[in-house]
Amino acid sequence: MSLPTQSSGLFTEQVSEDKLVVSIGPQHPGAGHFRFTIRVEGDTITECIPDPGYVHRGGEKQTEYRTYIQSIPMIERSSLLDVTNITLPYCMAAEELMGIQVPPRAQYLRMIMSENQRIISHLYWLGIQGIFLGHSTMFMWPLGDRDIFIDLGQMIGGARITYSYCVPGGVRNDMPPNFKDRAMKVFEYFESRLKDYERIFFRSPLFEKRTRGVGVLSRSDAISLGVAGQVLRASGVKSDTRIDEPYCFYKDISFEVPVYDDGDTWARCMVHLEEMRQSMSIIRQCLEKMPQGQIKVKLSPQQRAQAGEAYCRTEAARGAMAFHIISDGSTKPYRTKWSVPSFRNLIALPKLLVGSHVADMPAIYWSLDYWPVEADR
Amino acid sequence: MNIVSGTFKALYAALRQLPRRRMTMRYPDVQTEMAGYYTYDPKLGIAKPGYKGRHILWLDKCTGCQLCSIACENISQAIEMVKVNRNQPNNKKSIFPQVDYAKCVFCGLCVDACPFYALGMTEDFNLVSTSKSNLVYSPEKLAIPPKITRKKVEFKIEKELAYHE
Repeated sequence: MSLPTQSSGLFTEQVSEDKLVVSIGPQHPGAGHFRFTIRVEGDTITECIPDPGYVHRGGEKQTEYRTYIQSIPMIERSSLLDVTNITLPYCMAAEELMGIQVPPRAQYLRMIMSENQRIISHLYWLGIQGIFLGHSTMFMWPLGDRDIFIDLGQMIGGARITYSYCVPGGVRNDMPPNFKDRAMKVFEYFESRLKDYERIFFRSPLFEKRTRGVGVLSRSDAISLGVAGQVLRASGVKSDTRIDEPYCFYKDISFEVPVYDDGDTWARCMVHLEEMRQSMSIIRQCLEKMPQGQIKVKLSPQQRAQAGEAYCRTEAARGAMAFHIISDGSTKPYRTKWSVPSFRNLIALPKLLVGSHVADMPAIYWSLDYWPVEADR
Repeated sequence: MNIVSGTFKALYAALRQLPRRRMTMRYPDVQTEMAGYYTYDPKLGIAKPGYKGRHILWLDKCTGCQLCSIACENISQAIEMVKVNRNQPNNKKSIFPQVDYAKCVFCGLCVDACPFYALGMTEDFNLVSTSKSNLVYSPEKLAIPPKITRKKVEFKIEKELAYHE
């Protein structure tokens, strides 16, 4: 027997004492704007039906009514934790249609901002994962340290979260001269802080008890479900767009892609932790290798793109983010399609939840790093 | 990992924080030093980094060309051109931008659209108001540079320590 879908209207159902249907969200503190229904037998989840779409705002359609540059503040708002990484593939696809070569310095600045944004996004994820596992300290510390990285982003971007920093043609402004010193200080501080995180959370026996062997996604399942990002890498697949299809100057930068074979919640958490270290190392290398020069190709606000199609994929904080733009030669795109990692990871949720305990549900759910606003677009 | 040593290490990491200075800033009483104005140089085509807070309008440079209003058109429709009684030879129609901060998203693309160095963004982020009409800033109100009277504190980062003074 399957759960009634939304289209079936009113229904009555026989329930017994040990079988219950529990609705989680959209008001559940932690689900985000996202609802899913689980059927439990005793303490074991036997079925899970996700119901996304509560924050669907028609972003893809809205881009058809705006010029290329006007879409940027709107696109950003669908992935607030990850703004540079969502505007970057859009700008790259638009530049491909316009036939523009972005100056090298602008590409390095884009890399710095997107890696900084990755750390910000992972720290937010870590805070929520901490409180989901009942660890209040791991909620306070990452959210406090996240502010330091937000300040770093603010030095370049001029705003705390929504910078609208990448525009077709390059970036809007150069970095301030004191950025490098500040960034080095922040990284030195944060590296010592990550060791504290490990002591109190990641290497703590309580954390291992709650996450080891919980919500295991096998390598073959991960590949056949088509999941992305940390979920894929935690299942033993070495897949990272920055290495597989290098964009910007990622081919000149040496960094490691953390891969774990366990496929459980613990592995997904450890991938996040390692990625923060790698992001810092990438920013360090970028700051050293950055050339002087132009940062923007000046475009008209009513810039026309050539008729045709462009597809661009980058590695966002949650996985591969792709934009497909079809242009008819006018100032506005004819159609855009966003392929977002959150939505691709959602399909793994029913697979992971079935058979696990209700108490493990928050840990499994948030280990997917599902961001409803990004998934619903 | 051993349960005893793991628990002890976790407790040790927490106890190490006890003598440290706290990171929290007492915001309404103090605030951090902000970067300067965000301004745009139309000749170079790039902007000067700064904080994108509320706008500042240099009235004598504004020609009423409406480019800022057009730039905002499909973003938030926050900028409206209004008539102001000013005898200004470079602004024959005598129209100036008026910004509605209930709608503005602070993307700063209006600043990037201004070809006459007339618009910039200040470090003033405190626009709290009890009524929506107070959030509509007339051109004369936008021309006044913000005065931040709050005490400034510095955010210091050391090797294992981050705190507000």
